[in-house]
Amino acid sequence: MTDLIERPELPEGTADEVAQKAARGASLWRIRWTLFRRSARSNWKLFRANRVGLAGLVIIAIWGLAAILPTIFFATGYWTNTVYNPVTGLERNPPTITVTLVAEKTDPLREIDLRDMLLDQRIPDDLQIGETFDRPLQPAPPSLRHWLGTDPLGRDITSQLMHGARAAFGLGAIAATVTVVIATIVGSISAYFGGALDSLFMRLADLLIMIPALAVLIVLGAIIRFELWHLALVIGLLGGFGGTAIVLKSQALAVKVKPFIDAARVAGGGHAHIIFSHLVPNVMPLSFLYMMFTVTAAIQSEATLSFLGLLNVKTSWGLMINLANTEGYLLQGGTYWWLVFPAGLAVTLLAAAFFLVGRAMDEVINPRLRRR
Amino acid sequence: MTRYFTRRLIQMVVLFLVFITLTWFLLYALPGDIVAQKFAGNPNLPPEARQIAIERLGLDKPIHIQFADYMTDFFRGDFGTSFNQYPRPVTDIIGERLPRTIVLFLTALVTYYWAGFIAGKYLAWRRGKRGEVAITVGGVGLFTVFYPWFALVMIWLFAAQLGWLPISKFLDPGEWRNAPFGANQVFMRLFWTVAITSALLFTAQIVASKLRDLGAARLVRWGGTAAVIAGFLYYWWGLSGGVEMRPYAGDIAQHLLLPVGVLTLVNFAGIMLLTRSSMLETMSEDFILTARAKGLSEKAVRDRHAARTALLPVTTSLVLAVATVLDGGIITETVFSWPGMGEILVTSVTSEDIPVAVAAFSFIGVLALVGHFVVDMLYGVLDPRIRVSGSS
Amino acid sequence: MSRPLLEVDHLVMNYKTEKGDVSAVEDVTFTLHSGESLGLVGESGCGKTSIAMSLLRLVAENAVFKSGEIRLEGTNLLALSEEEMRQRRWNDISMVFQGAMNAWNPVYRVGDQIREAMDLHFRPRLSTAESNDRIDRLFNLVGLNPAMADRYPHEFSGGMRQRAIIAMALSCDPKLIIADEPTTALDVIVQDQILQELKKIQAELGMSIIYISHDIAVIAEVTDTIGVMYAGKLVEIGPTSEVFARPRHPYTFLLLSSTPSVTGPRRKLAPLEGEPPNLLDPPPACRFHPRCPWATDRCRTEEPKAEDIGGGHLVACWNWQEVPEIGAMIK
Repeated sequence: MTDLIERPELPEGTADEVAQKAARGASLWRIRWTLFRRSARSNWKLFRANRVGLAGLVIIAIWGLAAILPTIFFATGYWTNTVYNPVTGLERNPPTITVTLVAEKTDPLREIDLRDMLLDQRIPDDLQIGETFDRPLQPAPPSLRHWLGTDPLGRDITSQLMHGARAAFGLGAIAATVTVVIATIVGSISAYFGGALDSLFMRLADLLIMIPALAVLIVLGAIIRFELWHLALVIGLLGGFGGTAIVLKSQALAVKVKPFIDAARVAGGGHAHIIFSHLVPNVMPLSFLYMMFTVTAAIQSEATLSFLGLLNVKTSWGLMINLANTEGYLLQGGTYWWLVFPAGLAVTLLAAAFFLVGRAMDEVINPRLRRR
Repeated sequence: MTRYFTRRLIQMVVLFLVFITLTWFLLYALPGDIVAQKFAGNPNLPPEARQIAIERLGLDKPIHIQFADYMTDFFRGDFGTSFNQYPRPVTDIIGERLPRTIVLFLTALVTYYWAGFIAGKYLAWRRGKRGEVAITVGGVGLFTVFYPWFALVMIWLFAAQLGWLPISKFLDPGEWRNAPFGANQVFMRLFWTVAITSALLFTAQIVASKLRDLGAARLVRWGGTAAVIAGFLYYWWGLSGGVEMRPYAGDIAQHLLLPVGVLTLVNFAGIMLLTRSSMLETMSEDFILTARAKGLSEKAVRDRHAARTALLPVTTSLVLAVATVLDGGIITETVFSWPGMGEILVTSVTSEDIPVAVAAFSFIGVLALVGHFVVDMLYGVLDPRIRVSGSS
Repeated sequence: MSRPLLEVDHLVMNYKTEKGDVSAVEDVTFTLHSGESLGLVGESGCGKTSIAMSLLRLVAENAVFKSGEIRLEGTNLLALSEEEMRQRRWNDISMVFQGAMNAWNPVYRVGDQIREAMDLHFRPRLSTAESNDRIDRLFNLVGLNPAMADRYPHEFSGGMRQRAIIAMALSCDPKLIIADEPTTALDVIVQDQILQELKKIQAELGMSIIYISHDIAVIAEVTDTIGVMYAGKLVEIGPTSEVFARPRHPYTFLLLSSTPSVTGPRRKLAPLEGEPPNLLDPPPACRFHPRCPWATDRCRTEEPKAEDIGGGHLVACWNWQEVPEIGAMIK
C-alpha cells in the first residue's frame, strides 16, 4: 500500500508509529517487539528503583562471572588442571605443617592427639608425646595459591565454588524453562477451554502442591540415578504442573475476558491461534517472573539432594558441604571455616538473589505492589 | 459447610489411594534383585534358601497380585516386614516414629506461624514502611538460606561452640543406662501431657474471647491458663509417676530443642514478611477507618480488625507450608540423626528397604494430606465468604 | 437563638509533606444548630473531606492543626486527649463514609459490627437482648429486613450496605452525622431512596447532618444550609434556596451555571476554565482569582473577608455585586 500523503517521521515507539506499522502490514511480532522496547525502558526504571532487586541482580552477575572464570583461568594457564581441577585436583607437593603429639589438644591446627594419630594413616603410629611430625596440610587454609584453601581431599575450594556456580546456573535455567513452558501452556489451555480439561489440570496441580517435593525427589532419586539434568527435568515437570500452573491460569483467565480476544475470535482465529498468539504472550511477563522463583527452588533442591548424597554429580555446592560433614569438619567450623561457610553462603546468596529479583519484577508487573 | 467438608474428605481419600498406588509401583519397580542383595548373597546358602526367601516375601506372585495383597494388608494395618530389620514388622517401625515426626512437625508449624504472625503484625503496625529494606533482606536471607548448612552451623554454634544443647540424636544413651522406662514410653508420656495441656490452653483462650462479660472472660483466660499450667507442673513435679520419669523426659526434651528451633527459625521469616505486607495492605482499607471512627482503641483496631483480616492470605500460605515443613522435617531429622519418619525415609530409600520406604513415604503423604485438609477447614472458618459459597 | 451544636472557628489545617506544607483547610468558619442540615460542596481536593475528618479527629498522621477551634456544644474538640475524643466518636458525632460499601469488615457479621459500636459507648452495657432489639429497630428505620443483621457484608447488595451503614451511624444516638458522599457509588434510583431515607430519619430523630458532596444537585434536595468550598476556603455559605436562586460568589455562580437544567428555562452555559490551584503553593490573597472573570487587582493582593449580605448568607468576595443572575450572559 503506497502512501499518497507525506507522513512525517514520528518519534520511536509512539502509538501512532505502532498504528502506522500495523497499517503497513507489519507482523504481530514486529509490533510486539516495538511495544516491548518501549515498555522495557520504563520497566527498567521501575525495577531500578527497587534497590533490593538491584542488589540481587548484582549478585547474580557476580556469580555469572564466577561461572565463566574457570574457563579463562584454565585457558590462560593461570590454573593448571592437575592442581585446580575441582574433582581431581591435588597439590603434588603440598606444604607441610609441623604438628606436635600431645595428650590433650588445644590448637587443632598445630597439635594432634592419640586419636588423630591412630586415625590418620599418614602419621606413623609410634610417635611419642612431645615429638613432632611434618604432616601435609590438608585441608589447607586460604593462601595466595588457594584463595579459599583446599578441601579434605586436597582440591581447591575456589575452583569447586566456581564450577558449582555453573551447575547451579545450568540446573536453574533448565528447570525454570521447563516449568514455565509447561505451566504457561497448561494454564492457558485450562483457562481457555475450561470444563473437564481444566478440572483435570487443577486437580493435578492441587495434588502436586500438597505432596512434599523433597520426599518425592528422595524416592525418585533411589529409582533414577539422578544426573544434574535429570533432576532439572524432574523439578521442571513437578513445578510446571503444580502451583505455577494455577497462578498462570488465573492470569490467562484475566486476559481471556479482554475484548481483544473476542475480536480475534470474530476475526476468525482458531483455538490454537488465540491461545498461542494472544493468550500466551500476555501471560508471559508473569511467566518470566515465576522463572525467578523456580530457579531459587531448583538451586535449593539440588543442593539438598547432593548434600544427602542422592545426586550423581561431580561437583556441587551441596556436595562440598556433604564432604565437610562426613569428614567431621563441620563441628570444627571455627577452625576450618573455609570448608563450611563459602559453599553454604554460595547457595544462600544465589537463591536469595533470584528471589529478590523476582520480587522486584513483581513490583514492576503488579502496580499494586509498588511503593508510592 | 458440611457439604464442603465431606467433599474435601472424599477428595483426600481418593488422592491418598492414587498416591499410595503410584508409590508402590515406583518402588517395586526398582532395578536390582532384592533377594540377592538382602538375603541370599551368601554363596554358601543352598539354592532352595533363595526360593524360600522369594516365597516368604511373596515376590513370586504376579505384580498385580502382589499389589492387591499389599493394599488389603495395608488397610488392615499390616505394612509388611522390613528387609533391613527383618523380621521386624513395618507397623512397629512406623508406629514408633510417626508420633515423633508429628511432634516435630506440629510444634514447628504452630510455633513459627504464631511467632511470625505476631512479629509481622507488630512490625507493620509500629514501623509501617520504615526499615523495609532491612526487614526484607533479613527475612529473605533467612528463608532462602541453605537449610542443611544452616542446621549444621546452628549445631556448631549452639552445641559444639557454646555447649548449650546436645549435638544430635534423640537422647543421650549414657543417661539412660539404668532407666526403668523405654524411650518411646517416656516420649509418648511427654507428648500426651504437652498435647493435652496445649489443647486446654487453646480452648480456654477461645472460650474467653467469646464471652461478652469482660470480667468472666478475664477470669477464664488467666484463671484457665494458670490452672492448666499448674496441672502440668503438678504432673511432672508432684505425681510420683511423673517425678520418676522427669529426668528422662527432660533429656528427650533437650534433644528436641535444637531441631525444632532450627526448623522454626527458618520458616519464621517467611510468615513474618507475609503478615507484614498483608497487614500493610489491610491497614489502608476503609473498614479500618470505620473501626477508628467508632471509637475503638488502637489496640482493638489492630487486633480485632486489621490482624484478623490480614490473617486470611497468611492462612492461605499455610497450605503450601504443610509440604514445606514436612520437607524441612526430613532434612532436620537427617542432619540431627533424629529418629523420625523423615530419617527412616532417607535411610530406607538409600538402603532399598522397600516395605519401610513405601510405608514411610505413604505416611508422610498422609500427613501432608491431613495437614492440607485441616488448613482448608481452618480457612473456611476464618473467611465467611468461602463458607457460604462452598467453593474451594 | 439556641446555643449552636457545632462551631467551627477559623480552622486552619495543613498536611506536612516532603515537598512542603499543603494548605488543606484555610480559615474556615461556620456554625451548625441542632436539627439543621448543612451541605458542603466543592471539587475534589477542596478540603471538604478534610473538614469532615477533622470533626472526628481522624486525620492523617501528617496533618497539623495550625489554629482555630472546633467546638461541639462548647467543648473544643481539638484540645481533648485521645481518650476523651474516642468517647465522643460515634457517640456524639458519627459518620457515613464515602464508598461505605467497603466500610464493613468482611469477616464479621453486620449485626456484630453494629453491636461493637454500641458496646463501646452504652453505659451500662446493653444486654444481648437489648442490643438485638435496638439493631432490629435501626434496621427497620433504614428500611432493611432485621433478619439480615446475622449475615455477612458480602451477602448484602451495595444499596443495602449503604443503608446498614446509616443504621450503624445512628446506633449510638449521635447528635451529628456526617455523610461524606453518601450516594456517589450508587445508581440514581437508589441514590434518591437513600437521600429521602436520611431526610425522613432526620426529621424523626431531630439530629443534625452535614452532607459532603461534589454533586450540588444532590445536596440541594436535602439541606437547609449550603456551604461552597474552594481550595480549602469557604467562599460562600447561606440558606440553600437562596444560594441556589441567587449565588453571589463567582465560583458558585460558575458551578451552578455549568450544569444545564432539565426542567428550568434554557440558559447559557458558563463553563469553568482552568484547574484548581496547587495547595502547596496556593495563589496569594483570593485563591480563585486566576480563574475568576470578575477578578480585580484587589483580589490579587487582599484576602477577601466573609461579608454578611443578609439572611444568614455570607460571601467571601470583593466583587460579589458584579455577579449577575443565573442565566445572564457574562462579559
